[in-house]
Amino acid sequence: MKGASLRARLRWLNLAVVAVVMVLLGIASYSHTLGEVDELSDGRLAESARTLEALLAGDAGQYFRQARETSLSIAKPSRAAVIDVNGHHFETEVGFQVFGPAGHLRMFTSNLRNMTPPDLAEKGFGNVRFDNHEWRIFTLRDVQDPSGDASHPLVIRVAERYDSRNEITHALLIEHTVPLLIGLPVLALLIGWAVRRGLRPLDELAHALQGREPGSRVHIDLADPPRELQPVIEAMNRQFDRLEDSLERERRFSADVAHELRTPLAATLVHIENAMAATSIEAKAEPLQSAHKSTGALARRIEQLLSLVRLEAGAAAQARRELDLVPIVTEVVDEMALLIANGHVELSFFTSDERIVVLGHDAALRALIRNLVENALRHIGRGGQVDISLTRTSSWVLIEVSDDGPGIPVERREAVFTRFHREAGNNNDGYGLGLSIVQRAAELHGARIELLDSSFGTGLRVRVEIPLAWDPVA
Amino acid sequence: MHVMLVEDDDSLGSAIKRALEAMSHAVTWIRDGRAAAAAMRDEGTDLILLDLGLPGRDGLDVLTEARRDHVKTPVLILTARDTLEARVAGLDAGADDYLIKPFHVEELNARIRSISRRAQGLAANRVEAGGLVLDLATCQVEHEGQHMALTRREFTLLRVLMERAGRIVRRESLEQTVYGLDRGVESNALEVQIHGLRRKVGAQTIRTVRGIGYMIPRDAT
Repeated sequence: MKGASLRARLRWLNLAVVAVVMVLLGIASYSHTLGEVDELSDGRLAESARTLEALLAGDAGQYFRQARETSLSIAKPSRAAVIDVNGHHFETEVGFQVFGPAGHLRMFTSNLRNMTPPDLAEKGFGNVRFDNHEWRIFTLRDVQDPSGDASHPLVIRVAERYDSRNEITHALLIEHTVPLLIGLPVLALLIGWAVRRGLRPLDELAHALQGREPGSRVHIDLADPPRELQPVIEAMNRQFDRLEDSLERERRFSADVAHELRTPLAATLVHIENAMAATSIEAKAEPLQSAHKSTGALARRIEQLLSLVRLEAGAAAQARRELDLVPIVTEVVDEMALLIANGHVELSFFTSDERIVVLGHDAALRALIRNLVENALRHIGRGGQVDISLTRTSSWVLIEVSDDGPGIPVERREAVFTRFHREAGNNNDGYGLGLSIVQRAAELHGARIELLDSSFGTGLRVRVEIPLAWDPVA
Repeated sequence: MHVMLVEDDDSLGSAIKRALEAMSHAVTWIRDGRAAAAAMRDEGTDLILLDLGLPGRDGLDVLTEARRDHVKTPVLILTARDTLEARVAGLDAGADDYLIKPFHVEELNARIRSISRRAQGLAANRVEAGGLVLDLATCQVEHEGQHMALTRREFTLLRVLMERAGRIVRRESLEQTVYGLDRGVESNALEVQIHGLRRKVGAQTIRTVRGIGYMIPRDAT
């Protein structure tokens, strides 16, 4: 699904909630009003029945008295009084009937002429279907006959068509719904405006993010950030810092790589061109040998760089596992057997325990030991000495490699760790690249590196302290 | 020409030295930043080839300081730093040119010629003086249409004198240009070279200014 707009979402949610509440309130209010209208209309219906009763007891009763005096049978319907109600169409919607004791009509409005007389049980309010309409009726019994005959009480029935009530309730319904219908779009507009205004900090954030120069360390900073956005902004700024740090590291790394590779490459190229320019076979020999040598140096640098890259990639991909350092040292020394033999190097390996197990990355630890030993071998003279020792204490494993080469003066030891630093006097293969591999591998194990004086009197002793308990996440 | 090469890499340094010597330049090779800072003040240097990533002191530092101290020797930076920022910083620090490693010897030579032309106020690779025509690019000398075979040192000597035609070139300056900072040369080596050169280009072409040096008169126009 395409990401819906937060603004639209808020607007519609707000509008929906308001609309639902308004409709529910409208329905409640409408049904309440409907009940009130019914009550009022019923009351009026009953009221008119009582009025009729009172009228019959008064002057209107005259007719009944006359009828009695003339000995006319009140049972005769033909003598009933008819009140014509055809004057206005509303009039036909209300009416009444007055029945004599035997159920004969004595008085009625013309519209109710044919309404069925009430049975004996009918009393009070009721509903009747008549003339295709629903009628509300109120029946009043035991009405004193104005002629004075107490044994023959009259029955008054008043009726009102429901339609007339419906007209009122329709009017009420329209009154309730029209403001709602007009109000909702206005509300929608107002809510939209409010939501837009309320979400303005988000726009500001987006604007600040868009305006941000990649590669700059400038933090996102809103003038008055809402509390909800503060953690987001802080997290983003921290993320930017980390990103810039790693970009910076990458930039420095590629610049260093360029430098490390370009110099031997340039040397190779110039040697070859010198050989090409030389006019005699004899004159070509020396530059060609030099070219061959610098190609070897180039190959070694490439190998080291690749191992550094593998180290980074491997550390990210692999879990740490328990590794025995003793066979790793033995294997590394084996790999360098030729170098050791050719240089008549006196190499010794000491270990405090038969097995020295640490939790770590295989490739990284191997690269660490290989580079320590290789660095030592490359910096000693013919017949030089190299000591490798593994020591296990209660909380550390120490790897130490000492040589009797020229060493590094105390004041320059710090600088040697900057990646690819090259020490004066060690022109072809500086400690730098090898040590930066050692350093990176050590970092992966929380290890500390120290450059110390060698026990041989001259030379360098590199000590790597790997902690036995180390949490890479902490 | 006396070139000071500042390069810490043994292999590259020796390769460049060899290539420059093949072009009959005298080369003094310095391997670290501190030594370079001191050597740049040496007035006998015609051109400095400067690596930036040096042990001891960064080449850019050395250059900035030298320019602040009014060292006017042309400087060609020779480095692996290839970013725009690094190139701009190098040129702004006072370098005359900037060449990124790896490079071809041909290009290095062309740039050295170009810097040297600019230093001499020349527009082309041809120098004419004393009836001679000298081509800096091909290292050939013609006299009245005749090609002349000169040794490298003779060529260098002739070039310096022709480039500064009409002016007296001091002995010491000539010695440095031809032999570099090599103090082991015989004290009369320059006279021997001049003598050999006069035999080829004509005795009157090169005049001796006793006690000071030598000169080739400017062509009358």
